[in-house]
Amino acid sequence: MRLTCPHCGDRDLREFTYKGDALALLRPDETANPQEWVDYVHNRDNPAGTTSELWYHGPCGSWLVAVRDTTTHVTHRTLSLAEAGK
Amino acid sequence: MQFACKSASMRYSGFKVFLEGLRGQSGWKPVWRDPEPKQEYDVIIIGGGGHGLSTAYYLARNHGITNVAVLEKGYLGGGNVGRNTTIVRANYFLPGNSEFYSHSLKLWEGLEADLNYNVMHSQRGLINLFHSDGQRDAFARRGNAMINQGDDAILLDREGVRRHLPYLDFDNARFPVYGGLFHPRGGTARHDAVAWGYARGADQRGVDLIQQCEVTGIDIENGRVTGVQTTRGAIRAKKVAMVVAGRSSEVAAMAGMRLPIESHVLQAFVTEGLKPCIDHVVSFGMGHFYISQSDKGGLVFGGDIDFYASYAQRGNLPMKEHVMEAGMALMPMIGQARVLRSWGGIMDMSPDGSPIIDKTHIEGLTLNCGWCYGGFKAVPASGFATAHLVATGELHETAAGFRLDRFETGRGLMDEEGTGAQHNLH
Amino acid sequence: MAKLIARPATDGLLPIEIGKAILEDAQPQAITWVAPFNRKKSAVSKTLGGFPGPGEVVEVKAGRALSVGPGQAMILGAPLDCEGAAVADQSDAWTVVALEGAAARDVLARVTPLDLRDAVFPEGGTARTLVGHMTASLTRVGPFRFEIMVFRSMTQTLIHELERAMKHVDARTKL
Ligand SMILES: Cc1cc2nc3c(=O)[nH]c(=O)nc-3n(C[C@H](O)[C@H](O)[C@H](O)COP(=O)(O)OP(=O)(O)OC[C@H]3O[C@@H](n4cnc5c(N)ncnc54)[C@H](O)[C@@H]3O)c2cc1C
Ligand SMILES: [Zn+2]
Repeated sequence: MRLTCPHCGDRDLREFTYKGDALALLRPDETANPQEWVDYVHNRDNPAGTTSELWYHGPCGSWLVAVRDTTTHVTHRTLSLAEAGK
Repeated sequence: MQFACKSASMRYSGFKVFLEGLRGQSGWKPVWRDPEPKQEYDVIIIGGGGHGLSTAYYLARNHGITNVAVLEKGYLGGGNVGRNTTIVRANYFLPGNSEFYSHSLKLWEGLEADLNYNVMHSQRGLINLFHSDGQRDAFARRGNAMINQGDDAILLDREGVRRHLPYLDFDNARFPVYGGLFHPRGGTARHDAVAWGYARGADQRGVDLIQQCEVTGIDIENGRVTGVQTTRGAIRAKKVAMVVAGRSSEVAAMAGMRLPIESHVLQAFVTEGLKPCIDHVVSFGMGHFYISQSDKGGLVFGGDIDFYASYAQRGNLPMKEHVMEAGMALMPMIGQARVLRSWGGIMDMSPDGSPIIDKTHIEGLTLNCGWCYGGFKAVPASGFATAHLVATGELHETAAGFRLDRFETGRGLMDEEGTGAQHNLH
Repeated sequence: MAKLIARPATDGLLPIEIGKAILEDAQPQAITWVAPFNRKKSAVSKTLGGFPGPGEVVEVKAGRALSVGPGQAMILGAPLDCEGAAVADQSDAWTVVALEGAAARDVLARVTPLDLRDAVFPEGGTARTLVGHMTASLTRVGPFRFEIMVFRSMTQTLIHELERAMKHVDARTKL
């Protein structure tokens, strides 16, 4: 598996750390109700198929969003957090 | 005796083996039937892995509920139950887990007689190594918790470990062996035999085991489950249990639920057959490596999950390298063995690393999942508790901590590893 | 006051020559980390005499500037200070060694996941990557010469990893 770091380009999986569903970028606002927080912190779509995830490129310290297929391990797209709107 | 004997299968004995030898092995029958699905059952169990099959077995054996179907999309035992590294132990620390795994080990100890089936349960002893004073204290505490639970634990010093495992590299610069927690009743079992044994026992009591039958929808009317849609047609039931391990999120989504589960791949490895050299199960937590030797002689070993969401039942090369490195660091002699095969299974990872056996907000729909990388040893007690819940509507006392709402309420989280009750930390 | 004797981190460990590769100390006089503040990049670049973009190495007034992360460079050479940027002296925090020889790339291929082929990592290229299990900065300073930089505390581990890889590559070529 290879991923594209927004700073370093195409690199081997070993250089990256998985940081979970990209849902983490969609933090509920102050007025959210408890259920919204549970959905944000614990519940996951966990699809067999296309998913968006946060990854971290340790060597240079960049974060990225990878749009990936969990059944084939093919990476469709990677975005910097700026491109992902963060 | 409660033999319904609806099925074609037979009782096994030494005499039977002898007789079949004389008859040219012509009298053996298929171990279970291959029935067409009926239109309706009292209970449908989705998933023919270890937990689904044991749930069916205990529904019949403990509760006399036999109008039951197990629906399996592939073949029985093709999932994690036939892919694991077969370690069976009761060395959990936290209340909630402790009593459950203790109960499970007791069921294991009577399993072969109960099932009339050889699952090759071998209590060869498990040794968890430690490498610092702090870790020794933690293991001493765990050992005390195990003894309080009525199980067995012996704290070994370095020389004690050396007597059992002389082949370790005791002076590894990074992780010198300080000692180990010895759990004599821990060991292994032949994983697919466990699935087959429960399958045969359930079939003999009248349960329909339906393979090549994928559940594609869950029917719900007015908040009650009424049946399932499958690749072999609709089947009705007022009680449905979802017992699909790594596929739990997918199946629960059919009932409109989002679970606190992420699916990750875990790999396992086996070498060529060797003469007996590893008599125990050895667990090297600091290197994420554990190993035992199968009865055929292969060294069976594994490590950590690959650490990213996956439904592909295969892993990546970097984790293979990592596991082999850890193995070499612990016992350099295994560098001489050739690895024959590796494979992967899909783990239903929960945020706190502990499982879920609970009702859902949909009446009649039961959930069993969250086994992470440790659900093989749980197969007997999980089926026992899930059957109890399905039959009586009440949580079984040994599994009362496995509540789905613990993530929502924060009460009763069971973070056995102490890494935090969040995704991707276990 | 006692007089302290400064020793390089690789003291007594290098050089090592095995087969067609030689590993030697390449510690510069100073290592300085420079990260321009917002909108100050061109001013900083002017002061320094250049600033590397991703994956680049630029010769600047004080020495050689390596790209080490988004908006960050490590300058190997003379000590320096610079207006308009966060600047930190890293001289004692990192160890730099050089691996040179016809077998250098084969040796590195055993310890780093980086794609080292000419088309991807040409002379003058630099990358943050892993060497063994250590985060490192790798720079191709010549056709057969690579500089490897890791945290100083990991010097012995780095040399151990590289020496082992050198032995293995050499053993292969002698088969
Ligand atoms: C490599 C590896 C090593 C492990 N090592 C150990 C160990 O040493 N000790 C230990 O205790 N545990 C271990 N485990 C964990 C253990 O194997 C699992 O936790 C446990 O087997 C999961 O429960 P199960 O047996 O019911 O799962 P499975 O056998 O995966 O059963 C789930 C079944 O559901 C079926 N299914 C899924 N979706 C549908 C659908 N829509 N319709 C119908 N059927 C469906 C699947 O085909 C599958 O057969 C390991 C796991 C792996 C992968
Ligand atoms: Zn990067």
